[in-house]
Amino acid sequence: MIINHPLLGPRDAAEFVVKGDANLINRPDWQADDAAQQFYEYAYLRDNPAGEHRELWYHEQGDRSWLVVTRNTLTHEVTKVELARDVARAAGRSA
Amino acid sequence: MTQSNRIDGGLIDRDRALSFRFNGKTMTGHPGDTLASALLANGQRLVGRSFKYHRPRGIFSCGSEEPNALVQLRTGAAQEPNTRATVVELYDQLSATSQNHRGPLAFDFMGVNDLLSPFLSAGFYYKTFMWPKAFWEKIYEPVIRNSAGLGKLSMKGDVDRYDHGFLHCDVLVIGAGPAGLSAALAAGRSGARVILADEDFRMGGRLLAETLEVDGMPGVDWAAEALAELSSMDNVRLMTRTTVYGAFDHGVYGALERMTDHLPTSGNKPRQVLWRVYSKRAVLCAGATERSIAFGNNDRPGVMLAGAVRAYANRYGVAPGKRVTVMTNNDDGWRTATDLLAKGVKVAALIDTRTGITRTLDGVRVETGSGLIDTKGHNGISWATLQSGIKIETDCLAVAGGWSPNVHLTCHQRGRPTWSEDIAAFVPGSDLPPGMRVAGSANGTMTMGACLTEGRDVANETIRDLGFTASRKAAAKAEDEASDITAFWHMGGSKARAWVDLQNDVTTKDIKQSHTEGFRSVEHLKRYTTLGMATDQGKTANVLGLAILAEASGKTIPETGTTIFRPPYTPVPLGAFAGRSRGQDFKPFRLTPSHDWAKSNGATFIETGMWLRAQWFARPGEKGWRDSVDREVTMTRNSVGICDVTTLGKIDIQGRDAAAFLNKIYCNGFAKLALGKVRYGLMLREDGLAYDDGTTARMSENHFVMTTTTANAVTVFRNMEFARQCLWPDMDVHLISTTDGWAQFAVAGPNARKLLQNVVDEGHDISNEAFPFMACGEITICGGIPARLFRISFSGELAYEIAVPARYGNALMGVLMEAGKEFDATPYGTEALGVMRIEKGHAAGNELNGQTTAAMLGMGRMVSKAKDSIGSKLSERPGLNEEGDLRLVGLRPVDRSVLLNAGAHFITKGDTPSMETDQGWMTSVAYSPSLGHSVGLGFVKSGTDRMGEVIRAYDPLRGKDTDVEIVSAHFIDPEGERLRA
Amino acid sequence: MPDFTLTPTSPLKGFDKQFGDIRLREVTDQAILSLATPLGGETALKAAVGSAWGLEMPAPGRSSRADDGKVHLLGLGADQIFILKPHDHLQPDAPVREALNGAGYATDQSDVWAMLEITGPGLRRALERICPLDLHPDAFPVGAVARTMMEHMGAIILRSGEDAFILLAASSSAGSFLHAVETSLNWTAP
Repeated sequence: MIINHPLLGPRDAAEFVVKGDANLINRPDWQADDAAQQFYEYAYLRDNPAGEHRELWYHEQGDRSWLVVTRNTLTHEVTKVELARDVARAAGRSA
Repeated sequence: MTQSNRIDGGLIDRDRALSFRFNGKTMTGHPGDTLASALLANGQRLVGRSFKYHRPRGIFSCGSEEPNALVQLRTGAAQEPNTRATVVELYDQLSATSQNHRGPLAFDFMGVNDLLSPFLSAGFYYKTFMWPKAFWEKIYEPVIRNSAGLGKLSMKGDVDRYDHGFLHCDVLVIGAGPAGLSAALAAGRSGARVILADEDFRMGGRLLAETLEVDGMPGVDWAAEALAELSSMDNVRLMTRTTVYGAFDHGVYGALERMTDHLPTSGNKPRQVLWRVYSKRAVLCAGATERSIAFGNNDRPGVMLAGAVRAYANRYGVAPGKRVTVMTNNDDGWRTATDLLAKGVKVAALIDTRTGITRTLDGVRVETGSGLIDTKGHNGISWATLQSGIKIETDCLAVAGGWSPNVHLTCHQRGRPTWSEDIAAFVPGSDLPPGMRVAGSANGTMTMGACLTEGRDVANETIRDLGFTASRKAAAKAEDEASDITAFWHMGGSKARAWVDLQNDVTTKDIKQSHTEGFRSVEHLKRYTTLGMATDQGKTANVLGLAILAEASGKTIPETGTTIFRPPYTPVPLGAFAGRSRGQDFKPFRLTPSHDWAKSNGATFIETGMWLRAQWFARPGEKGWRDSVDREVTMTRNSVGICDVTTLGKIDIQGRDAAAFLNKIYCNGFAKLALGKVRYGLMLREDGLAYDDGTTARMSENHFVMTTTTANAVTVFRNMEFARQCLWPDMDVHLISTTDGWAQFAVAGPNARKLLQNVVDEGHDISNEAFPFMACGEITICGGIPARLFRISFSGELAYEIAVPARYGNALMGVLMEAGKEFDATPYGTEALGVMRIEKGHAAGNELNGQTTAAMLGMGRMVSKAKDSIGSKLSERPGLNEEGDLRLVGLRPVDRSVLLNAGAHFITKGDTPSMETDQGWMTSVAYSPSLGHSVGLGFVKSGTDRMGEVIRAYDPLRGKDTDVEIVSAHFIDPEGERLRA
Repeated sequence: MPDFTLTPTSPLKGFDKQFGDIRLREVTDQAILSLATPLGGETALKAAVGSAWGLEMPAPGRSSRADDGKVHLLGLGADQIFILKPHDHLQPDAPVREALNGAGYATDQSDVWAMLEITGPGLRRALERICPLDLHPDAFPVGAVARTMMEHMGAIILRSGEDAFILLAASSSAGSFLHAVETSLNWTAP
């Protein structure tokens, strides 16, 4: 597979490590009333869609950036690659 | 043996003779020959025995589709089974033997299987070997194993070398026949970067095998001109002997280049290179494969594909027979007859299964609307019988059943071919791998002129996609030869077996039988009969088998469906996949900075991950590793020892928010760590379990240096980057690994300070007052060399870790030993390191195994509840905090002479060992030279409340059952006085 | 106190060998530093780098080099560059910190890496056996830099000339890395 890195261009997936569902960016607030439940869901529950999926990939043998790769798990087609940091910021994690 | 069947012409170099041996018999051929063409030239029709029935078999095709002519090539360790004689390029002194027979090839004792054939039909394994049950292991399986397989392995290590490589191009053209050459020319002329790969040792494909003209010249000459133009282009790479074997995701293709297989020896160079080709686009011009027609005894040596017979005559200057008979269902078969006649080869008869054919051939008996029903001959055909009963004397039967486009690579991403009635064959479907186009006969375009045009047009479309301007140059021109076909699959009218899959000995009867028995899906048919399996993957058999299944089920071929293809297109040796990664080169080695010193000072090394670390340093007179390790521990505890601990991961952390970030990463607090201080930190996983530990030193307000365990160095860095970029994206914190940059040594023991004082430059006070336990600082040593000093202890002794730039590491090891001479300093390895940490009760990998919590490790109170850190929330889960949970404790044998074993489970005295009564397990053990007996660490239920209790360390695996006493994990200096001394 | 001297050794002990027209040698006189951009500090760092060395901050995948060739900045990531400069200070990060005056976070990487220079015509034929990147001059021109993986080892590759590359590999596995490059050269020699 090839991942088209937003800064570096197309790179072989062999340079990357995959972590899975990009929802791992959305780490719960530890002080929420139901923090225990939220963390349980965060740590253990994942969607595993047959089709489009947003995944975290780490460019370990490259620039050490974490990426959010939108990939079709049936065809392996990659339709979008973003810097995870930008995704995290857009998700309001800057605070 | 003379080359009895050699005729004029062909693309061979007659000026040079190559001597080779087949089954010990010496023969000659010429450069340009394949082993198959040379065998045929020497009149060798019988070349092997079939898989199941051990039927005599000969050369069937002239390419990589060959099902029959599999031979053992070379000798000794380089011996390679199942090579196809049809693609083995002849070299001088080649040696090959036939396969799959016991006794001589011409009289195979296993030929008895053929007589037993009524019992060996499709599915016989499943039916025959079911009962009695007890027979399986003792009788059936050994017999089957003995008969199974085709060639034989040498059972020696592969002496050849293999390599990998990476190629990049705009357009990959697969196949260098008419369409491929035309496509490569068009793409190359546009300026695009082109790779043209072909499995043959000479490019040109069918142009080399046919007598058709292109641009007014013989096709062979046009191919040579095209190749000359292509080789003059810097943007084109021509790869002969290169099979593109797989189409993978995103334009990545796998290709196997045979670098030295055509040479007597590889000369220390890789025999084959497995390329990963990154293409923006690909044009598949893989051509087509001819198939046979099934009729009685159509498997005898001498029965061949008609296109192959023609190729042997035209390209190799070989007449596969002296009285050839052609049987065809299409116009193409006629060209075999006309080409042979032009070469002066006698054609006994031409049989066309079609009706209404009025064409004739001078001096050749032509039968139409008819076919052959049987053949006869010992170890080769000598007679063929027509439906009418007329017998034709013949030594070579050229069968033309039509051509199947080589759609294999179009299927590698689940594409399904579709049936074309026009050419009676499957053509590529619409769901091609992204970026791939198909041209020429692979696309069902079966005539020369059309192939040339389509190659160019498809290449031009492809390069326009990529923004190149297509050259206006027209495609080469050629007549479109006659190519009509009327599908015809098999002849009835004889009781003789009619063969469909020659490699797997599948007959028309097997297919019908499997259908009768309910195996109606084409996938089931394949598995039940083995049709289309093994080295040729049914290249010449699949469509025929399918057609017969369709007929049996009364369906059309499209209704019946087809199997699809997976990589590889042709077999790829496992050695090629391994590449260089074998033996010593299986993985890289990481060496510590003091490796050379250790090597010349008696170290025994151990692999820890990729690292090679000194395990112990044997001294003369020491009888075994325990002697060395016991001494290293004792000398360290009594005076001072030195250990290279460079392998611990080191991460340089800088930024305004570095301290706040560390507070997130470690479960214990770091924000308030003072400058010039080190703190022990424990990391949890987000699920609340313990993950990694180490120390982090604050070098300045915004600068920290972290150490991780050796094993987790890479993943801790990865997870910290995840936290930094994904969880807290706007913290100002930056990470970089410095593991390799600093040589770090533990200097431990009561004389550690005195030793270091010998090397530390004046002005750096490392006294206990100025530099207490858990202090750190930047100093200089040996006259100005920068160093970092950390007062930390893994051994429990007064200890430091000193780090210098790695370039000084090897020298520093020697200097420290020199400076420690007056204290009788000892180097120590990982074993002594382990013994001392167990004596001190420090957790390591065996305790931090991913199943344990901070509470279990006795560090429950370290987990701060006043802040958010990774894993802190889920560490509070009730399930991880139950009454009676496991706790880390020390264990010592009641009988001090007994050695403990890690892995033993604890059982309360008086209980019967079971899952229910299990009380925990022993994680780490060591012989403690300091105490004079074996000591252990382990997890025991409510362990810390059971001090002094004697329990059983139960180890049924090793047959041991030892009474052990639960004690503090800190066997040495529980008050920590030594390390603060 | 006795006098002790620490003699430095380079990871590849000054390797220097000719393979036909291709020369492979260890470079031992260069300091290597990483420089991270503080969050929100892009402008300040750009200015500091400009005034320190008269150089632009390189974009990821590109490099910029001082006219005298002494300072070479390699763009490796969104907020990280590497600096190559003569190793003329016992603590190479000290003068860099001083020159940048807190505008960036410098870390000495000199001993983290072994540095190889490979020069000569046709060396792409050797590198294509281990380097997954497209090194065609159109795709990887002079000045291009990338971090990638070769023979299971992380590496940084910089095209320093038409027929010249700098390779950085972890110093602990430098021996294995050198073996990989040498093997490629031997196996592709004419």
